[in-house]
Amino acid sequence: MDAFFNMNFLTELLLSTIRMATPILFVALAETYSERAGLVNIGLDGIMSFGALIGFLIGYKTGSPTTGILAGALSGVAINMIYAFCTIRLCAPQIVYGMAINIFAPALASFIYRLSFSDTSTLIQGVSMKAMPIPVLSSIPVLGPLFFNHIPLVYIAYLLVPVTAVFFNRTKAGLNFKAVGEFPKAAETLGINVVLQKYIACIICGALAGIGGAYLTICYTSTYSEGIVAGRGFIALSAVIFGRWMPSGVLLACLLFGFCDALQIRLQLLSPSTPYQLLQMIPYLCTLFVLAFFGIRKSGPKANGQPYYREER
Amino acid sequence: MKKTMKTASLIMAAVLTAMSLAACGSASAPTKAAGSSAETSAAETTKAETTKAEETKAADSSKTSGYKVAMVLDSSVSDGGWGASCYQAMVNAAKDSGWETVYTDNVATADFATVMTDYAELGYNLIFAPGNQYTDAVKQVAEEYPDIKFALLNGTVETENITSILPDAKQIGYMAGALAGLMSKTNNIGFIGGMELDTTKAKLECYEKAAKKVNPDIKVSSAYAGSFSDTAKGKEIASSMVSTYDVDVMFGDASAVDTGAREALAGSEGRYDIGQPGDLGSADHKIIICSVVTDNAALLKACMKDVEADTFGGKTIYGDLSNGCLSIGTFSNLVPQDIQTQYKEIVDQIKAGTYIQ
Amino acid sequence: MKQKENLMKVIVPVLSILVAFIIGGIIMICLGKNPFQAYGFLFSGAFGSSRKIAQTLVIACPLIFTGLTAAFSYKCGVFNLGGEGQFVMGAVASIFFVTKSGIGGIAGILLSLLIGAAAGAVWGAIPGILKITRGLNEMIVSIMLNYVATLFMGYVYTTLLRDGSVPQTFAIPDSTKLAVVSKNFPVHWGVWVALFLAFAGYYFLFYTSKGFKLRAVGLNSTAAFFNGFPVNRYVLFSFIASGAVAGLGGSVELHGKQLRLMGGFGQGFGFDGVAIALIAQLNPIGTAAVAFIFAVLRKGASTLQTGMQIPTAVVDIIQALVIIFAVAGTALLKLPAIRQYINSHMGKKEVTN
Repeated sequence: MDAFFNMNFLTELLLSTIRMATPILFVALAETYSERAGLVNIGLDGIMSFGALIGFLIGYKTGSPTTGILAGALSGVAINMIYAFCTIRLCAPQIVYGMAINIFAPALASFIYRLSFSDTSTLIQGVSMKAMPIPVLSSIPVLGPLFFNHIPLVYIAYLLVPVTAVFFNRTKAGLNFKAVGEFPKAAETLGINVVLQKYIACIICGALAGIGGAYLTICYTSTYSEGIVAGRGFIALSAVIFGRWMPSGVLLACLLFGFCDALQIRLQLLSPSTPYQLLQMIPYLCTLFVLAFFGIRKSGPKANGQPYYREER
Repeated sequence: MKKTMKTASLIMAAVLTAMSLAACGSASAPTKAAGSSAETSAAETTKAETTKAEETKAADSSKTSGYKVAMVLDSSVSDGGWGASCYQAMVNAAKDSGWETVYTDNVATADFATVMTDYAELGYNLIFAPGNQYTDAVKQVAEEYPDIKFALLNGTVETENITSILPDAKQIGYMAGALAGLMSKTNNIGFIGGMELDTTKAKLECYEKAAKKVNPDIKVSSAYAGSFSDTAKGKEIASSMVSTYDVDVMFGDASAVDTGAREALAGSEGRYDIGQPGDLGSADHKIIICSVVTDNAALLKACMKDVEADTFGGKTIYGDLSNGCLSIGTFSNLVPQDIQTQYKEIVDQIKAGTYIQ
Repeated sequence: MKQKENLMKVIVPVLSILVAFIIGGIIMICLGKNPFQAYGFLFSGAFGSSRKIAQTLVIACPLIFTGLTAAFSYKCGVFNLGGEGQFVMGAVASIFFVTKSGIGGIAGILLSLLIGAAAGAVWGAIPGILKITRGLNEMIVSIMLNYVATLFMGYVYTTLLRDGSVPQTFAIPDSTKLAVVSKNFPVHWGVWVALFLAFAGYYFLFYTSKGFKLRAVGLNSTAAFFNGFPVNRYVLFSFIASGAVAGLGGSVELHGKQLRLMGGFGQGFGFDGVAIALIAQLNPIGTAAVAFIFAVLRKGASTLQTGMQIPTAVVDIIQALVIIFAVAGTALLKLPAIRQYINSHMGKKEVTN
């Protein structure tokens, strides 16, 4: 029992938190870009599973994890273009297309996987990304292994948070971007190309969600199995709302999810007699309690989820 | 306005063509890839299958019986675990008997009966349901279609047209436990279950009994992963068992989760795993010291024989050591010769039913 | 004029579904399968006999319930994504009732359905209360509650009400099974309950003053507030009512089809319902119709898969394509440019948006 509650246990717990939060963070940031431009995309699970497969496949064929990740990003963009065209150009309901992607993309992924590997009785081992310790910093005790001894993708994920924050709050492009999600009609009169901005949002969203998926099959494990995404897209969607559509808030939400999940796995080992479902509820209940305690009066971008009909003249 | 309409329809047309091209492309391009990957990754399985196929061809090439078997599966046939092994069992059994096989996988719970009804309507002779969770659906459809036969793996139902197939979980547990007891140096062994199925519980219970009989000092730690596919969780559980309880021999009943556990065991010296249900080890394997092999294909083949001879139904086909459906797999050379001999003697006693009463 | 426009409303979706089928056919040709034979299987699977039509209706039943859940709450402007959790909790409450109380027969069924609906209502009320009192976004709360409900159901079927060897609950007693119409048309009575609810919901929303106020709140809650409507009360009401519909659906599914709880019960029904309601443009009767089309696709796809041995994944792809194209077709009709085009060709001067 005591073996669990020492420094090593805590470090392991925090490390595990970071590992588990990273893919969700990528996808949550993806959704942040999308919703900031007024597009609610619930097809994140689908985009992730497609990115997971293509990333795994290309990584396996080329032997290069980096190429795999890039391929994951590209495939995410490709899949998200279906959503983009239908919701932006045709102004079709966004939730429906998110759903359609959630059916379409995983099916396509499993189809391609079977064509590629036919019937194998064991899971195929692909490539995995190696950790890249940051010189000097990684040798600091405790903090070093916690923060400076990760695979490059983890650093990128956490760097994306301040980058996104600066983009939205300090750059003209970012403000234009936000305007599209708040008051598209007004933005258009200011000379912002609303439709183009929305497409850009979809490209960023697809790429980041695809990377989030590829992270699962290249960094987390090195195998692909159907259903590997396991609802992480919906967790990311919740993290965006939880984080009030702000990158820093989204980061906190993802870390909270990751922490609770890492904790519940360890609690399961500590007390195998407790029904594991009750422990698995912890991340969700924790979110609810934190939310209920702080309360959120803020709502999202005002034109979120609304179709934008451009005036024809 | 006409122009926008035209552009819109043009875009639609372009998207359509692009999508259909993409669909064709994705359908044809990876097929090539499949050919090349078969040479590398799936080479072993392919080889094994071809030799088997050649054998059957030599034996009874004229035998294309015209019988058809269908499998309904809630997971995927490429899950690298339970689904894959059951599918292989069906394919191998059918190959030997000259049957045609089909399957539907990733079936939702609500659709079990629907899919079985479809196969029954199509006149399949035998429907193979690999797991106890299909019991309700099998019973329901079997009642509606009395001419169709159903084989229920790990089932407990016997009717006119349902036969249950039941590998002896107790013997599996004894076999694994005895070997774990013989091999453990730290006197701590581990067990990971997927779900709390009766068969899994029986395996755990007998695993512990047999290990304690071999070595009274042995302690067993066990955990349920709550999943058959969560590889990462298997890894976490196994590594915590090693670090906390100094477990050095493990046995698992959780399909893909066991793969994760083995990854964790590979991280430190002198940690072993006992495989199941296939013969997973080899002479120079560093982790899997031996496997407890269940030959589901042989059990299924017995069902097929019954269908052909019209003697199907009303029974449970047990798979155990005496009818060869359970057997010892390949020993790794990590197992000393004297332990191998000792173990084989114990297994003979288990077979005779004299080891543990 | 109006007729022509209505005609277009039918023709365009039909054409776009046709396009989806053509693309699906091309995929099947690539796989070396005969698409005509395949679609033959699809339609005979869904409509081939009275038994098959009955099966299709039974598949449609839970989708109608969750679809109505979504339609009802969205009409009031609240995005209840918790249909799945409410559905599951309804079933959980019912299984507790029937296994613990021992009340059988008609009384048992009716009480159990009521309790299921009540449980769904309670589960639906949580996001409503949190929204009103703490200002929480109902989407995130209802998604979290979906996970909690599913895990709780897991706890129930693996521990609390476990039936021996398999992780599943006891089956409900035979006397509490919903009766079927006839042996050759085995549709359980829950389907009629679902259809009745669809019509009742339509009547309520469009022909009663309460329904009008509810829709007004949905259209513009601020304006409704200044008109003296008790907005919060309507919001809470719509959460509770939609939750009750979902809970009733879960209970009906338990008594009519599944007969016990096990892993995967209700999975995906919540979000299917949302998509169905949106495709039907939140019209309750339309929701029932779209749910039926979904069921036709599902039943037909299963027959197509078993009959032709096309990978399940391809069948899923075709289903997704049908949704993608059918909805795109409908959306196309609503585009201002297209509307103008249609209207100008029909000699109508004014363009209403």
